[in-house]
Amino acid sequence: MGKFQITTNPENCTGCLRCQLACSEHNTKRFNPSAARIQVIISDAECTITFAEDCTGCGVCADNCLYDALQKIAKEEA
Amino acid sequence: MNGGFAGRILHIDLSQRRFETEELAPDGAEKFIGGFGLTVKLASEIIVPGTDPLSPDNPIVFGAGPLVGTSLPATSRVYAVTKLPQSNAIGWCGGGGVTFGCLMKNAGYDHIVIRGRADRPVFIKIIDDDIDIVDAQSLWGMGVAQTCSALWEMVGRPAGIISIGQAGENLVSFSMAYIDRLSTIGRGGFGAVMRSKNLKAIMVRGSRGIQVANRKRYRELHNTMVTNIREYPYLKEWQHLGLLKSLPFTPEGMDYNKIRKRRIACVSCPIGCKEVIEIPDGEFMGSLIHSSSIVNLLTPTVYGFTDYREAIQCVSLLDEYGLDMFEFFGVMEFAKDLYAQGRLPGDAFDEEIRLESFTAMEKWARKISLREGFGNILADGFEGIIKQFGEECRPIAPYTVKGMLPYTGPRGPLPWNLFGTMELGQALDPRGPHVGAGGSPTYFARRPLTVFPRHLQRMGVPDEAINRILGTKASGEEYLEIGRLLKYSHRWFAILGSLGICARAQINRFYNAALCAELYESVTGLETDLDDLRKRADRAWTLLWMANLREGMTREKNPLPDKWFQEPGFNDYLTDASLSRDEVEKMVEDYFDEQGWNRETGIPDQKRLKELGL
Repeated sequence: MGKFQITTNPENCTGCLRCQLACSEHNTKRFNPSAARIQVIISDAECTITFAEDCTGCGVCADNCLYDALQKIAKEEA
Repeated sequence: MNGGFAGRILHIDLSQRRFETEELAPDGAEKFIGGFGLTVKLASEIIVPGTDPLSPDNPIVFGAGPLVGTSLPATSRVYAVTKLPQSNAIGWCGGGGVTFGCLMKNAGYDHIVIRGRADRPVFIKIIDDDIDIVDAQSLWGMGVAQTCSALWEMVGRPAGIISIGQAGENLVSFSMAYIDRLSTIGRGGFGAVMRSKNLKAIMVRGSRGIQVANRKRYRELHNTMVTNIREYPYLKEWQHLGLLKSLPFTPEGMDYNKIRKRRIACVSCPIGCKEVIEIPDGEFMGSLIHSSSIVNLLTPTVYGFTDYREAIQCVSLLDEYGLDMFEFFGVMEFAKDLYAQGRLPGDAFDEEIRLESFTAMEKWARKISLREGFGNILADGFEGIIKQFGEECRPIAPYTVKGMLPYTGPRGPLPWNLFGTMELGQALDPRGPHVGAGGSPTYFARRPLTVFPRHLQRMGVPDEAINRILGTKASGEEYLEIGRLLKYSHRWFAILGSLGICARAQINRFYNAALCAELYESVTGLETDLDDLRKRADRAWTLLWMANLREGMTREKNPLPDKWFQEPGFNDYLTDASLSRDEVEKMVEDYFDEQGWNRETGIPDQKRLKELGL
């Protein structure tokens, strides 16, 4: 299991997909948003952020978020 | 291909309802970088000189550069090259790709080439290798955002979509297409070109992924850039305000924090200039608007709109029809002036033209987009109106370049009288009057010359050229050669566009030309230094210029607009003195000279072509 709990702040999300790009490259060595273990969908003004069951909590998605839509919290702190 | 490129070109023939894929030739990709450059190359090879822009023979070539689909900041640009009906030029059309470029690359295509004409309205559905040409009768008559919503409902999300609205459907000469309903692409009639193929929309989704050649180097470069971005002191302000940060005024009564519902970014962009706006009160209360930016939404205030809510609603309607906003207001102003001078029949208007009135502009946008009544004539733009009512109307028209309205200038929609590279670029961009490729430090007014060299070095301008562009004469007088500088604006634009990087000033500030070469090499694995990149960009821009010379776009056939030199005209960037025609003609010649083309004619000679490998 990963070290982090990922918290989301969907109102800050812009749909830039940097989280999905980073996650997929980290896990598959290819930038492939469809293979990411985090999925972001923005529909009209609403944003939904979901995590796949195989998300390990590695935190690479939060590391790559530039809009404060994702934060990682060390599990012992959570 | 080691990385960056998806590695394939998708060819679609709408007449034959056939498609095929072609492997991307590595040498061609390397020679033209990719993206913008390679799109220009592919289009110039297949466009037959003299082709009617609205004929089935006019191809559309889409492309996205090798950085598109990676996590490098703001690498989402999508380009299309085709013959544009308004200017009759082979023009580049470009837009922030939102999700389209990334998903096109993930479907496995660097380029999509569309030929022919479907026998009925269609949309193209691309999901990886599953390509469908689908009946679009149910979408016909829909606006841009409505089309996107219907397609997302039909095929699910995510899906990148390029679509046209009713203006494109009705071949309005100044119709555009839109990417994911947010980014405009194709000022000059690109919407009409799509319609001429009976093509309502292209939808794409993919799952193949993009790899980079040198992951270690990529990560080092990427992480350094992201650190720089995080430390940029204005990052949060840009992220909050978007392009509003660059607007010198806020309309009366507008509380941006109240109307801003969400910032939207193209894939991988750290700033995000698109937005979702909600009108909070009044007649349009609750209207939810997706837009390329709040600044565009407020543009009608320039024409006299006093209620910001009406301005926003007006632009959202123009976007929904798929109309070029600047051209729309220019045409309306022209028609109004013609009517006032008695040049139009007395019964021409059943709706008064009042540029400051939402009610009037809403009706005229509809009439033009649907070609109703007198709107049918206005839909053909300035040249269509002059053709209908005679050449004697021309002196009343706003000044045009290649039949289109330059929107930056002393009498332009964006009133601006200093003559920098973007202003000269409106006359020298092969596609017609567009400022997108002409960026330089002259974008900002009255910058001291001392700050220029740092910016020019970032754009990849060699030191020996900087000495030609600016400095101080023996007399102590400062000089800034706008024509010479424009060559490097075009080169910088070609580098950014070919890699797939957004050309907006607030984004490209995080890049420099040497870094671009390193990024290109680490992503593609193609050995590339700064000199290579500069030469390939010059090759692409010169090829675009040559393709247009082949179409007859010579210097003498595209004179500078007379009205640029009548009061109030343009002023010199440094001295603020009025500019004469001779002074600007010299800038044109300096531009040709700096490009290595013939100083008088602008025609590249064999020596220059050989140097560029053309």
